[in-house]
Amino acid sequence: MLIVIVFIITVGAFYLIHLLPGDPAVVILGTGASPVNRAKLYAQFGLNKPILEQYFVWIRNVVHGNLGTSFITQTSVWSTVRAALPIDVEIIVLSQILAFAVAIPTAMRSARKPDGWLDRILSAGSFTLLSIPSFVIIVLLVLFVAIKLGVPHTGVSSYVSLSSDWITNLESLTLPAFTLAVGSYVVYYRVLRSDLIATLQEEFITMARSKGISQRRIMWRHAFRPSSVALLGTAGVNIGGLLASGFIVQYLLSIPGLGYTLITSIGQSDYLVVQGIVLVVSVGVILINFAFDFIINIVDPRISRE
Amino acid sequence: MSQEQKLLVVKDLATTFHTPSGPLAAVGGVSFDLNQNETLGIVGESGAGKTVLLRTIMGLQPRTNVDVSGSVLLDGFEVVGASEKAKRSIWGLEVAMVFQDPMTSLNPVMRIGKQIDEILRVRLGMDRRAAKARALELLELVGIPSPAVRYNVFPGELSGGMRQRVVIATALAGSPKLLMADEPTTGLDVTIQAQILNLLEELKEQMKMSVVLVTHDLGVVATRTSQIIVMYAGRIVEMGSTREVFAHHRMPYTRALLEGSPKVSNPSHTRLLAIPGRPPNLLNLPKGCSFAPRCSFATDRCRQERPELENANAPGHTFACWNPLPVTQSVSA
Repeated sequence: MLIVIVFIITVGAFYLIHLLPGDPAVVILGTGASPVNRAKLYAQFGLNKPILEQYFVWIRNVVHGNLGTSFITQTSVWSTVRAALPIDVEIIVLSQILAFAVAIPTAMRSARKPDGWLDRILSAGSFTLLSIPSFVIIVLLVLFVAIKLGVPHTGVSSYVSLSSDWITNLESLTLPAFTLAVGSYVVYYRVLRSDLIATLQEEFITMARSKGISQRRIMWRHAFRPSSVALLGTAGVNIGGLLASGFIVQYLLSIPGLGYTLITSIGQSDYLVVQGIVLVVSVGVILINFAFDFIINIVDPRISRE
Repeated sequence: MSQEQKLLVVKDLATTFHTPSGPLAAVGGVSFDLNQNETLGIVGESGAGKTVLLRTIMGLQPRTNVDVSGSVLLDGFEVVGASEKAKRSIWGLEVAMVFQDPMTSLNPVMRIGKQIDEILRVRLGMDRRAAKARALELLELVGIPSPAVRYNVFPGELSGGMRQRVVIATALAGSPKLLMADEPTTGLDVTIQAQILNLLEELKEQMKMSVVLVTHDLGVVATRTSQIIVMYAGRIVEMGSTREVFAHHRMPYTRALLEGSPKVSNPSHTRLLAIPGRPPNLLNLPKGCSFAPRCSFATDRCRQERPELENANAPGHTFACWNPLPVTQSVSA
């Protein structure tokens, strides 16, 4: 299954290049190049071969970690992706830790007394956040956190990696991670809250109650796990989505992750970089979803049995 | 403690749910008591309020939109009005419940050993090893083969009968004085039903418990209980010793229930008598006797005035009926 999907993705990513307008010969040689030179260039890159053969040449290289060399920067696409990908991973991991750390306890609180005052406040708050688009949140955060509070924030020019200076690194990733966390939090809170409310109606919760154990234990030991299947499924889809759509946040905050690189590459018609990023992101999304499916099977043994 | 010590004293217990369509009187003024080491059967059709009564006695009714009045003294502890925290101290250790449907009463994502362990570890403070050892004993006690293997399985890997044994083992873990069994065999095959009921009976003797056995099947209570309560529309309509109620019942509803249960002594293909009509809507109870609309003996008085429980001939035998069956009337069990 996984292999079939990845194969389809590679075909799509490969064909994408052929769908795009423009001609690599024009990009490299300029508009005034002679037909002879253009034909030479075609032969050099193998662009005169049948498309199926081009695909097999390309896919063999991809499997060996060779995504090609950018026509524009003359650097390997793989090294560009490898420089940007850890930033995306770090932002997503940070944002998800934040989102879960807030969503789980608040959903638990809400579900204990649905329609109680706390639940009403939390639900209303989540709706408010839901209705604010991420680019508005970024602008507000930059205004209040970065400018008014003076939390340092660095952009693409002064970005440093986690390994070289983790404090500066975390400072520059706080705003993007926080922005993504807000959107994730709302979804996770709502999904978990409604599943918890449904679970708490179950007979096995009454049975757990009849053992004389604390409310806290009932919530965490009995209600949480059977309520977390939809949460995990949603998280899988959401994290995949963040990998694919993180470009808004990255672009606005000048964080040189995959999304930022993608936008700049599109602007420069750097097709091979676009292709490489599309491929890596697509495979990443698939792998993330498969990983979450796997986790769900462990969390709820009923699913794998059926 | 003497044999005659009352373990459970219930007085004027009423449970009312606040529903969007108005107050629903699920239990309307129930009084009875139960001695130690005794088994009480509560019978009645579906919707008679048996399950709600059981849960209210234990204090396990939902925490919102419900009113409980009256009194339940459980081994000296007043359940009605007690806080959840106070009730937790008796739950599991003084009183435990065997739930109706073992398909829904076990946590589907928790290994069964952990579900039995929980009460031992959290309530009795046993360490992991002692709790596991005790849980294995309990699994063995309720007749689960190869307990060491079963300890680690999820409920979905067990049959209904096995699951109900696990539920019973869980209920027994805290060695309760009172075991509430809420139609413990409803969801099970007939052959398994007898096994589970016999198991409960054995365990009752072995662990010196009192048992309240709720059922809609009079055949179940006939041989296994010493006292019977017949419930209709949230009220007791007849109660007494099992022998008396079977031999000299006075309430037409009790007779209707008896005629509605199959008996081995009947020739084969004997038609069972179904009670005409349906149990009344608890949101809108009739003014007089709730059974009047379905009763062939009903008079105008029955429709206007509700009968209270009155004494029959034998001590402890009471019934609520304006036109009781004559004393000589008898249907053998």
